[in-house]
Amino acid sequence: MSNVIVNRVAEFLKRFPPFSFLEKADLDLVAKAVEIQYLEKGETLFHQGDVARPHFFILKEGIIHLVESSSKGDEIHEVCDEGDVFGVLALLGKRPYLLTSKVVENCLIYAIPVAIFEKILEENSRVALFFAAGFAAGQVVVRQDLSEGQRARGAFKSASGDHSLLIFSDQSQINFSEKVLKCGPDTTIQHAAKLMADAQVSSIVICDENDFPQGILTDKDLRSRVLAPGISTKNPVWAVMTSPVITRKKQDGFSNLYLTMIRHRLHHLVLTVDGSEQSPVAGILSDHDVFLSMGNSPAVLIHGLMNTLEVSDMRIIRDRAEQMLLYYLENEISMEFVASVMTEINDVIISQALEIVQQKLLTDYPEMAKVRFCFLSMGSEGREEQLLRTDLDNAILYQDVPEKLKAEASEYFQKLGEGIVEVLLACGFDPCPGKIMASNPEWVQPLSVWKNYFSEWILHPSPEALMKVSIFFDYRAVVGSKALAEELTEHIYQEIAEKQIFLNFLAQNALKNPPPLGFFKDFVVEKSGENRDQFDIKSRAMLPLTDLARLLVLSHRIVGINNTFKRFEKLSELEPGNSELFSQAGKAYEILMRMRALEGLQTRSNGRYIQPKSLGKLQRQLLKNAFSPISELQEIVNIRFQLDYFRR
Amino acid sequence: MSWWEFWKPKAERLDFIRDFLEINAQPITGIRSIDQLNFTVIDTETSGLDPAKDSILSFGGVKIFERKIQIQSSVEWYPTAKNSGGKTAPIHGLVGIQDQIPLEDFLKKLLPYLANSILVGHHVGFDLELLEKELKPFGIERLPNAVLDTGNLAIRLEHGPHADRSRINLESYSLDALCARYGIETDDRHTAAGDAFLTAQLLLKLLKKCHAKGIQDFKNLMKNY
Repeated sequence: MSNVIVNRVAEFLKRFPPFSFLEKADLDLVAKAVEIQYLEKGETLFHQGDVARPHFFILKEGIIHLVESSSKGDEIHEVCDEGDVFGVLALLGKRPYLLTSKVVENCLIYAIPVAIFEKILEENSRVALFFAAGFAAGQVVVRQDLSEGQRARGAFKSASGDHSLLIFSDQSQINFSEKVLKCGPDTTIQHAAKLMADAQVSSIVICDENDFPQGILTDKDLRSRVLAPGISTKNPVWAVMTSPVITRKKQDGFSNLYLTMIRHRLHHLVLTVDGSEQSPVAGILSDHDVFLSMGNSPAVLIHGLMNTLEVSDMRIIRDRAEQMLLYYLENEISMEFVASVMTEINDVIISQALEIVQQKLLTDYPEMAKVRFCFLSMGSEGREEQLLRTDLDNAILYQDVPEKLKAEASEYFQKLGEGIVEVLLACGFDPCPGKIMASNPEWVQPLSVWKNYFSEWILHPSPEALMKVSIFFDYRAVVGSKALAEELTEHIYQEIAEKQIFLNFLAQNALKNPPPLGFFKDFVVEKSGENRDQFDIKSRAMLPLTDLARLLVLSHRIVGINNTFKRFEKLSELEPGNSELFSQAGKAYEILMRMRALEGLQTRSNGRYIQPKSLGKLQRQLLKNAFSPISELQEIVNIRFQLDYFRR
Repeated sequence: MSWWEFWKPKAERLDFIRDFLEINAQPITGIRSIDQLNFTVIDTETSGLDPAKDSILSFGGVKIFERKIQIQSSVEWYPTAKNSGGKTAPIHGLVGIQDQIPLEDFLKKLLPYLANSILVGHHVGFDLELLEKELKPFGIERLPNAVLDTGNLAIRLEHGPHADRSRINLESYSLDALCARYGIETDDRHTAAGDAFLTAQLLLKLLKKCHAKGIQDFKNLMKNY
């Protein structure tokens, strides 16, 4: 049943083609999905080169110019006023926008989701003709030949770019220079700079007599360590070089080399014969080499993130990262690489958010600049496996401060957490339904309070405490003082060592998750609610594996491995007897992560619920196979922690 | 002060009431930017102007998120009223409405719909008073949501925060007058959903104005002078 509001929208749409060709039922369907937006003169709806939105637009009132900007200046292609349809590129081929839409007079814009319209396009030939004939404004692509389309793609290399494919399919494609500019540690700075200038390179590797790398000197070092402090260029280079250098060998494969550069924020990676620094230099890989070969890539995104403190820009970059993710997932790029890259991007967003909020707050709280703290990510982001922007779980841990600073510190960190969470929400992350976020005063605490929290949970493992444990135990210090987090970890292990029985409770909890398959080996789907007949991949398949991995890792007292599949990898090393099972479990988890992320990207949700009926036969089998390690692991845990006895 | 201080148990606590109060227990963060706020724009048509005696004949609402009116979220409900058929009913053309729903069903739809959004309306106080009258037997005397009145917001934006209301011609802040001034076509006046839709468009335009004046987060938007 449609109401007055939907009718109002429908009546407006009906006056203009292509909506005038629609039947009443279709028209209502379209009208119901409209979003209305108001923009004022001088604003821009979309920019040339932006990724196509999932909407196209019809102007309710006002005037919009569709403008092409080029080196020759701006050229107006089209003037839209009431009833004009534009931005339909999204509808026609998901290409980036070719024109910029500038608001010339205050505009009320109706946005219509492409998804709704796609079906209509198939069924209604008059509507299809309207678009095919290019009646909608700014529809340059369809009128032009193929070369135009290619030009559009060249203008913006992000949308499922063909470029990154080359890299991963053929690793010999990376070009790095095998000729490396070298000098001895006692060379003067001035001479080293001259060598760099002559060779026209931006770095020089300092080697000892065996050709082993001792350090590296870059353009940036010359600027910040020599010229800025005014050090004499007669000094030897060893005084200003970066040392020790991080080294890898070239056989490590591109993704590994690249990951090292991303992790350590290196612009130059030195390659040696055997990968250690006790080995002769064999080549150098610069980020420039990477950029050239990749077009659009994690490095470009991270670089973009690190150079902006504008929340809206950060949101755009995070959206782009999602496209890259889709590409990676569809092309079966290793989950370890994908997860690391996405984690790094999320981490950079957090550290930029911190930067933004700190800038605002520190003027009011100058004393707080000295207080050590760290921002903890928990849950999936803590485990370095958050691919989609699902729930935020985070907290702040700061050092204990003297009595007189207590109130101020509590207030400051509270505001800091609140601010960071707001930035993250604006970047498209979902809030935690359980309020486990750094904006919640309960989870913004000094070290001593945190220690008490964990001691309390370990001492009194109530169901609620165990639920918290499952989230909090996967914490990871993202920015700030990692030493604080390590101190907390140390405390936790001590407490557990004193109270071994806690692990039995944890084990019991790990077996509580509902089983994925029913008696007849069919998927157990939700019986009621909005996700009826859907399969909950998170709580029925992923959570059991996460819980089991955490439990076993804790029982082996392993620190510093948060990632579920890496935990299984480590466990298979530690327990050769179960090695096969653990590595299967790790692989199963990767498959589940991939499926969930793909489902989430396709349905624009958190991917938690999957429709078993929509899966192909092969996928169903793959999914079912992924479950088999779960029950075996549960059996092992049941025996190892004597849970049959324990339950009584 | 928080909601529970107003709240005194009067009737049996029903699930939908509890869910509603629970979702509202967490206040909206003051620094949340307007882009991230959820608004529900509402309007009601009533059997008269006396909150004590009259009741709601129809309710219309539509939501705004990310500064966009979400047509999908629009609703129009006709609760059965105890004393419908009063004087104003014929004026509003509400006689013989078909899809009427019992009052309790209406409230069960209403509360999850409002959830913890910011309630917006033109002279919204009156609408809320009537809603609260119906909710009172269920234990809610005062809706816990943040409330924004487009009339007051317009006055604040046009006359500044410290305007002396006695010197302002309040007639020029009626919904009709504001729509005329802000260039919003008025048809469907005097249906609840129609008015809610107009108010939503007005809010979009007022929020732009807020932005220009540096009012960009929840705390500043809700500031009372």
